Amino acid sequence: MKSESPQEEKHQAPPFFKSWPGMYLFVLGFMGFLILMMLWFSSSNTI
Amino acid sequence: MSAIDWIVLLGTLLFIVLYGSWKTRQSKNIRGYLLGDNNMKWATIGLSVMATQASAITFISTPGQAYESGMGFIQNYFGLPIALIIISAVFIPIYYRLKVYTAYEYLESRFGIENRLLAAFLFLLQRGLAAGITIYAPAIILSTALGWNLSLTILMVGILVIFYTVSGGTKAVSLTQKWQMGVILLGMVLAFIMIVNSLPTGVSFGDAVSVAGVLDKLEAVSFSFDPSERYTFWSGITGGLFLALSYFGTDQSQVQRYLGGKSVYESRMGLMFNALLKIPMQFFILFTGVMTFVFFQFQGAPVLFNKTAIEKVYEGPRAGEMQEIEADYKLSLETKQEAIQDLLAAKKSENESALGAAADHLRNTHKASEEIRDKAKTLVKEAVPDNNSKDSDYIFLTFILNHLPMGLIGLLLAVIFSAAMSSTAGELNALAATTTVDFYKRLVKKDGSDRHYLRASKMMTAGWGMIAITFALFAHLVENLIEAVNILGSIFYGTILGIFLVAFFLKNVRGRPTFFAAICAQITVIFLYIFYSDVIAYLWYNVIGCGLVIVLSLIFSLIIPPKSNPEPVEEG
Repeated sequence: MKSESPQEEKHQAPPFFKSWPGMYLFVLGFMGFLILMMLWFSSSNTI
Repeated sequence: MSAIDWIVLLGTLLFIVLYGSWKTRQSKNIRGYLLGDNNMKWATIGLSVMATQASAITFISTPGQAYESGMGFIQNYFGLPIALIIISAVFIPIYYRLKVYTAYEYLESRFGIENRLLAAFLFLLQRGLAAGITIYAPAIILSTALGWNLSLTILMVGILVIFYTVSGGTKAVSLTQKWQMGVILLGMVLAFIMIVNSLPTGVSFGDAVSVAGVLDKLEAVSFSFDPSERYTFWSGITGGLFLALSYFGTDQSQVQRYLGGKSVYESRMGLMFNALLKIPMQFFILFTGVMTFVFFQFQGAPVLFNKTAIEKVYEGPRAGEMQEIEADYKLSLETKQEAIQDLLAAKKSENESALGAAADHLRNTHKASEEIRDKAKTLVKEAVPDNNSKDSDYIFLTFILNHLPMGLIGLLLAVIFSAAMSSTAGELNALAATTTVDFYKRLVKKDGSDRHYLRASKMMTAGWGMIAITFALFAHLVENLIEAVNILGSIFYGTILGIFLVAFFLKNVRGRPTFFAAICAQITVIFLYIFYSDVIAYLWYNVIGCGLVIVLSLIFSLIIPPKSNPEPVEEG
């Protein structure tokens, strides 16, 4: 599978991140953060 | 319903429909009609993807699911961000490079026509039936709760959707979905605020959350390996991942939403919008259900929320049993309410041992009241055998109809109709695109003018709308209908996903081995469903179907000789 040309990728990078892999890592990190928040939320309200 | 509620409901729906139809009335060609002239920006795409997936059942049933079983259902969505990343990285660049109208067009360039037609056919079969269920499912619940005529409710939803989807195509669908999502989010936020405001004086939001926590409604994540546990982190990450990958990556009703993007960037950002917001949105909907549960603990709840089912029991010979159950339930609720007050008092006193004892006592009283509820459900099942709805589907509706102020009731009903219409519109648009592009244009009339195909697409949209309405009108003949859409999806999605994954990642595997592998995989999954559905949960059919296509295509590659005329190879 041919990837997009480097020029195209350069112009189409997501905001704040230097590349799409950076954006994807952020999304995964955010998902991990949400799961941790859910775990904290349920454990802090369990008696 | 009051006059104000009718005005809010009909005004909201008609405004969105008429505005959407008027703004998008000028489709000049088929690219404009099916792909919105590739003009859409990421926010429109993001909302459109979200609206197509979130049908009315999301807003009717999900809060009820949380009321009864807590937050655990959120785990089904854990695979979604990962799936959207894979689609963004791998699928989107390929679809854009080949300038396809449908996901299945890509398969012809990679494998040849048989795989394209097979995947397109499976999509039409599965999504065509699902479109009928998307209309029927909310209609049956609303007509039962409100006493509306079921057929008229179905016709109202169906005809409104056909009107603007035929008129404006994908642009009309996306524009109306933006407004519909706005209505949905506004309605849900206001409903949540009303629930919190309706807690008794002296009971804070924190107190309400504590009550929910004690009664195990807040456990959202389970790392258990117990296969009998329905929702776990592991099933979400695996089964949920495959389901999301297939649904968002290969189901034309979703692919069409992001193929209309201005560029790869806009489509990717639209998907990342969903990857970031879908889990929080589902969490909020489930949490609204949990707070509805707490509200009813203080307010007092009926033993069952489906009033029509209870009325039918009272009309029959077992009325006395229901009367006894309702009396027992009322007493159990009073005991539970005392236990809640003891818990809150112990919480204020900050006495750990008193708190522990109060929590145990509350759990015991709750268990007792739930046992009475289970007795009521069993009685209904025996006394009213043609009642197919789950009681949990009526919980949030009961709250809306009985405890929200005038005007807000109309708005929340508009939420439910908006969700039904936005999903159906996305489905009809996709069904028409696949029928026109993958079958009509490809097989029947290959050299028509652009205007001809535009007219054909409009007729296909109307045609599929009629089919969906017809199916919805006769759907009461089928049992367990609301579950059917998930089962249908899981039976076919795995095979379709398998074909696409072989296409993307196994470059040495050609069309014929893949085609035969897909046929064998599909037959196997149908066989498993018919004979082993109590042993294998249907979420796993996605994984099995997909895995079989991949493994069998590799094996068949070694056995089946290539065609003497080489198949088209994907460009680049």
